[in-house]
Amino acid sequence: MAAIIEKESLIGKAIPKMDAPGKVSGHTRYIHDLNLPGQLIGRILRTDRVHARIISIDTKEAEALPGVHAVITAKDVPNKPLGVTKDNPPLKGDKVRCERDEIAAVAAETEALAEQALSLIKVEYEELPALFDPRQALLENAPVIQESKPDNISMEFDYSHGDVEQGEAESDVVIEDLFKLHYVTHCCMGASGVIADFDSTSGNLTLYSNTQVPFLHKREFASVLNMDPNRIRIIQPPIGGGFGSKLDIYPFEPIAVFLAQKARRPVKLTFSREEEFLASPTRQPAYLRLRSGVTKEGVLTFRTLDSLLDNGAYTSWGATIPFVMMQTFSSLYRVPHCLYHTTTVYTNNPYAGSFRGYGNLQATFCVEAHMDKLAEAVGIDPLRFRLKNAQQAGETSGQGMHFKSCGFKECLTTAAARSDYAIKREQNLKAQGDDNAVKKGIGMASMLHVGGGAKIYPSDGCGTILKMDDFGHVTLMTGASEIGQGSETVLSQLVCEELGLPLSAVTVVNNDTDITPWDVGVHASRTTFIAGNSAIGAARLAREKILNAAAGTTAMPADQLSLRGGCIVIDESGEAVITLDKLLRSLHFQERAELVTTSFYYEPPSVHQDKAFKGDVSASYAWATQVVEIEVDTLTGVVTLNRCTAAHDVGRVLNKLGIEGQVEGGIVMGQGYALTEDLLIDEGHCQNPNFRDYKLITAPEIPEIDLSFIETMDGEGPQGAKGIGEAPAICMAAAIANALYNATGVRIYEAPFSPEKVYRALKGCSQPLEW
Amino acid sequence: MSLTHEIKFTLNGSPVSLTIPLTMSVLTMLRDLLNLTGTKYGCGEGECGACTILIDGVSVNACLKFAVDCDGRTLTTVEGLVADSRNDPLRTAFAEKGGVQCGFCTPGMVMQARHILDNYPRANESQIKRGIEGNLCRCTGYKKIIETIASVGELDNKG
Amino acid sequence: MTNFKSYLAPATLDEAVDQLNQGNVTVLAGGSDLMLRVGAGNYDPSHTLMNILKINELRNISFEDNEVQIGTLTTITEIREDPELSIKMPLLGQAADQFASMQIRNVGTIGGNICNASPAGDMLVPLLLLDAAVELARQSDGGVASRRVALKDFFVGPGKTQCQSNELLTRVSIPFSKQGFRARFYKFGTRPALDISTVSIGIGGIFNNGYLQAPRVAFGAVAPVPFMALKTMKAIEQSPLDSERIKEIAEIARDEIKPIDDVRATAWYRKQLVHNLTIKVLSDVTDA
Repeated sequence: MAAIIEKESLIGKAIPKMDAPGKVSGHTRYIHDLNLPGQLIGRILRTDRVHARIISIDTKEAEALPGVHAVITAKDVPNKPLGVTKDNPPLKGDKVRCERDEIAAVAAETEALAEQALSLIKVEYEELPALFDPRQALLENAPVIQESKPDNISMEFDYSHGDVEQGEAESDVVIEDLFKLHYVTHCCMGASGVIADFDSTSGNLTLYSNTQVPFLHKREFASVLNMDPNRIRIIQPPIGGGFGSKLDIYPFEPIAVFLAQKARRPVKLTFSREEEFLASPTRQPAYLRLRSGVTKEGVLTFRTLDSLLDNGAYTSWGATIPFVMMQTFSSLYRVPHCLYHTTTVYTNNPYAGSFRGYGNLQATFCVEAHMDKLAEAVGIDPLRFRLKNAQQAGETSGQGMHFKSCGFKECLTTAAARSDYAIKREQNLKAQGDDNAVKKGIGMASMLHVGGGAKIYPSDGCGTILKMDDFGHVTLMTGASEIGQGSETVLSQLVCEELGLPLSAVTVVNNDTDITPWDVGVHASRTTFIAGNSAIGAARLAREKILNAAAGTTAMPADQLSLRGGCIVIDESGEAVITLDKLLRSLHFQERAELVTTSFYYEPPSVHQDKAFKGDVSASYAWATQVVEIEVDTLTGVVTLNRCTAAHDVGRVLNKLGIEGQVEGGIVMGQGYALTEDLLIDEGHCQNPNFRDYKLITAPEIPEIDLSFIETMDGEGPQGAKGIGEAPAICMAAAIANALYNATGVRIYEAPFSPEKVYRALKGCSQPLEW
Repeated sequence: MSLTHEIKFTLNGSPVSLTIPLTMSVLTMLRDLLNLTGTKYGCGEGECGACTILIDGVSVNACLKFAVDCDGRTLTTVEGLVADSRNDPLRTAFAEKGGVQCGFCTPGMVMQARHILDNYPRANESQIKRGIEGNLCRCTGYKKIIETIASVGELDNKG
Repeated sequence: MTNFKSYLAPATLDEAVDQLNQGNVTVLAGGSDLMLRVGAGNYDPSHTLMNILKINELRNISFEDNEVQIGTLTTITEIREDPELSIKMPLLGQAADQFASMQIRNVGTIGGNICNASPAGDMLVPLLLLDAAVELARQSDGGVASRRVALKDFFVGPGKTQCQSNELLTRVSIPFSKQGFRARFYKFGTRPALDISTVSIGIGGIFNNGYLQAPRVAFGAVAPVPFMALKTMKAIEQSPLDSERIKEIAEIARDEIKPIDDVRATAWYRKQLVHNLTIKVLSDVTDA
C-alpha cells in the first residue's frame, strides 16, 4: 500500500540560515580572505586637505621603489566621474574637495611596500577657502565647491498636494520647529574591499566586489572603464554587512581596476577600519524645519517642510533621500495639505550614501515629535491622536501611494497595549516633579516604508532560473544577493513550498553576473518581496511541468496531483504515486527529453513617480509602531533604553528566526542612531574614525525587546509577506525623543541624545538650533 | 632588514615552527602566514572582538597580541574549535538559534562564547552580555547571540 | 618596514634588570597598549623588545601583614576574580570589572595599566584612593635593588612616570585600610566597561560622628594625570558632612579639576559631572 504524505509547510517556521554553518566554522571566505595568484596589494593616497588646488603630484620615487608595479594619478586613467550626478572622478587631478579625496594609488607586492610607496608621493597644494556649514553654502560669496554648480546647489526637490494656506486657515493650532540630524556611518564589520582581475588572453575583467547591486554596478563599470559590459563579470563573495553602504560605486573600485590594468596583475584593495570610517558613505545629515497644523478636534490640517541637506563634496545617494522623506511627511498620516521642499548643497564635508531607512529615520524623527506636540496642544492622548489620523487599508495618500493592505492601526494598538503605554505615560508625567534624580519615560513612534519594492529605476524586477537535476535537487539561480539578511533561506523556503521539498534539496546561486539573471539589487527592503515573487514564479512553472509529466505517466489528471515530501501525491488523499527523483529521471529518456529548467521574471505592479513625485511606487507598504521605555539620569544626562515594544505589519512571517533577527538588529541600530553613534566632523575632518570613540551599541546596552508581527496577508506579497529590512531601525530616535520628553518635560530637537547633549538640554544650556 | 624571531607553539593541536617579524601581531601571523582566515580583522585595535582566539585557553584579541609572545603557548582558532566535536553543540546553536547574520563577527563571537562557557559555566544572561561586551555585531542586535550562548550553557550544566 | 632591533624573553627579574641597565629597551607585557603604538609607528626601532611575560615571579597576589602585593604581570581578570582580594579590597575588583573588555582584561596587566599612565587609566583612581605604592627594580652591584614610590607621586604627565629607563615596575603594594574605611568608585560612561572614562571618581574615608576622617579623593580623566584632590580632601576633613556641606564640597571639587575639551566631552560638562558625581559618591560613602 502506498504511503500517505501529509502536507507540510516551512512558511512561518523558525528556519536557520542556510549559510550559517559555514560562517560559524570560519569557513566562509569574505573578500578579505581571498587571494589570487600573482595578486598585488593596492593602496590609495588620500588628501590631508579639504579644499585645495593640486599644483603637482610627484610619483617618481614611489615608482622607483622595487616591488611597486603601478602608480596612478588622474592623468593616467580615463577618470570619468562617478556618482548620482557624475561629479566624483575616481582620482582627483585638479583639486581636492574633502578629506576622502583620492590623489594617487599604488599596487605593490606587499601591503608594507604599498604603504611605503604612498609615503614617497609628494603633492603640492594651493589652499582654497573652505565651506563647512551647509547654512552658508547659498551665501553670495560662499566658496564654490563644484565648478559646474556655481550656486553650490546639488539637487532640489519640491512636492505638494492640497493647499497649505487653506490648511493653515482651518487649523486651531500651528507649531513649527527646527530639527537637526547628524552623521552616522554603516560600520559594516567587514570593511570595504575589491579584487580586480583581467584575463590575460581575453582581456575580460572579473571583479570580486562587495556590491549590493551587481547588475547596476556592471553597467556603471562599463561606462567608467570604457569597456563593453559583456566583458565584465562581477562575483560577489559573502558580504560582511551592507545596510545600503554598497549601493553606489565609489572611487576605490575603479582605482583597483586601473591599477590591475596598469600592472597587468590582479589587484586587491581593502580598507583598514580607519579608512572605512574616513572614506565610506555616511547617513545624510540634515536641517529640517517642520510646520504642522491641527484642529481642536485633533484632525491634521496641513504640513510644510523645508529642509537643507549637506551634500558634502560629491553626490551619492544620500542627496536623494527626499524621495523617501516626503513619503513620511505626506502619507504616514492623512494630511490634506502638504508642501515639501529640500535643497541639497555642496560643502567640503564627507558625502552621504544610502543607509538602511534612507531618510526615513530623519523624517520620522520630526514628524513623530510633532504628533506628540500636536496631541498635547489639543489635549488628546498621543495614541488616540495617532489612531485618529492614521492611514488605513484602501486609502490612497495625497502622494498617490495606494495602501492595499495596512496594519497601521493594529500596530499602534498592539504596541501600546503590550507596553502599558497609557498607564506608564501618566505615571511618568506625575513623577516628573519628584526629587528622584532618575526619571522614567515612555515614548512611541510609527513609520511607513516601502514593503513591495520601490520603482526608482525603469524596472524594479528580478529574474530567477530554476533547474532540477535527476535526483530532485533544485538549483535556484536568483539575481538577489545575500548580504546577511537571510534572502537565500527565505527564497529557498518559498521554492520548497511550491515543490514539496525539504530545504536541504535546494542550492542557491546568487553571486555571479555571468550566471544569475538580472536584478536591481539589495535595497528598499525589496528582496523578499520581489525576488520572492520571482522565485515562486519559477517554482510554479517547474511544478506545472512536473505535474504534467506525472499526469502522463500515472494517468491521473495533473490538477489532482501535488508535490509533497519529495513525491508526487494524489492531492486529496496524500497518497504517494511516484517519487520525484524517479519521475525526473524518467523525463531524461523520453522522446522529447526535457530537463526541468524554468526561468521567470517578476516585475511588481508599481509605477514610477511622476515629475511631481506622485505615484504608487511600491506594490505594498510596511507599517510599524515602536514604544520605548527609558531612564534618564538627570545628574549626568545618560539615557538608558530599558525596553522596546515593537509591532510590525510584515504581511506575513515567512521565517520566524530570520524576521526576528532583522527586527532586533534594526532596533539596536536605531538605538545607536538615537543615543551613541555620532561621526564627528570638524572643519571637514573626521574626529573619531575608530570604534573607541564612534560608539556602536554593545551587548550589555540592548533593551528588552517585545515583538509582535501583524499579519495582513498582503495580496501581492510572496505568501502574503512584505519587505521589512529597513523598517525596524526607523522609529527608534523618534520614540526615544518622545520618551525623553515624557520623562523630563524637555524636548530635544537634535540627535543623538548623547549624555552631554541631554544634560545641557536639562540645564537649559543647549546651543540653540538656527537655520 | 626586518628583524625576525623563530617561535614554536601549538596551533589547533599541532606543533608549528615559524619565523616572524618582531612587531607582527598574532592576527597577521594567522591570516597572512598560516592562511587561517577564519579569524577576522575588524578594527586592529581590540575594540571589536572579530579576531578573538584562545591562547592557553583564554580569550584574547589576536590583533593586539605580539606573535613573538606565542612561543611555547597553545593557540586555538575557530578552525581548531570546530574540528573538535566537543564544540558541536556550540556550533549548531549559533546556526539554529539565529546567532548569525552577515557572519563577519561570528568566529570571534564563537571563540568568546567558548571562553565564557569554559570559565563561567553558570553565567546568567547579564553575565553573558558582559562577556561579549568586547565583541561588536552590526546585524543581530545581540539578542539571539546571547540566547545562543545561554542555551549551550544550559546544555553543559545539564550534562 | 621598521622593526625592533632584537628580542629577548628573560625568565628572571635579574636578567630583565640587567638588560634594562644596558639601555634601549622597550618592555612588552600584555601588549595591548604597545601594539597600538607599534601600529601607529610610534615606537623606537633601535630598541630591544623585552618580553617580561615569562618572569613568573612577577605574576602573583600575596597578602602580607600590612599590605597586599600585586605582581606587575597580574592580569586585570586575575584581580577581578581573586576571591581573597574581593573580600579584602572589593574596590579593586569593581574597577577591574569596569576595565575594557573581557579579552583585554585577560591580557592587560596591572603594571601595564600603571606604566601606560593614561589620564583615564581604569585602575589608577582606585589605586590612588587606596594609597598604593609601586616598586621599581633596577640593577645594582650585580643584584636587584628596588625603590618604592607612592602612586600619587608616580605620574608626571600623560604617558610619563617616575619609572626610569633602567627600572622595571615589579609590583603594586596596597596597604590594608584602617577599620571602618569605606570607599566608592564611579567610572562615568555609557557602557559598563568598554568605554574610555569621561571622568572617574573615587572617594573614601572613615565616617565617624558626621565627619569623614582621613578622607581620600582621587579623580581620573580630568587633568593630565590621575590625581589626589588635596583641596577637596581638606574641605571634607574640616567640617561635618550634611547635604548642604556636601554640595559645597562638590563645588570645591569642580573647581579643583583641570579638564580639557576633547572628542568625548567638553571641559564644562566634565566639571558638571565631577560636581554632580562628587555629591553622589560622597553621599554614598557617608550614608551608612
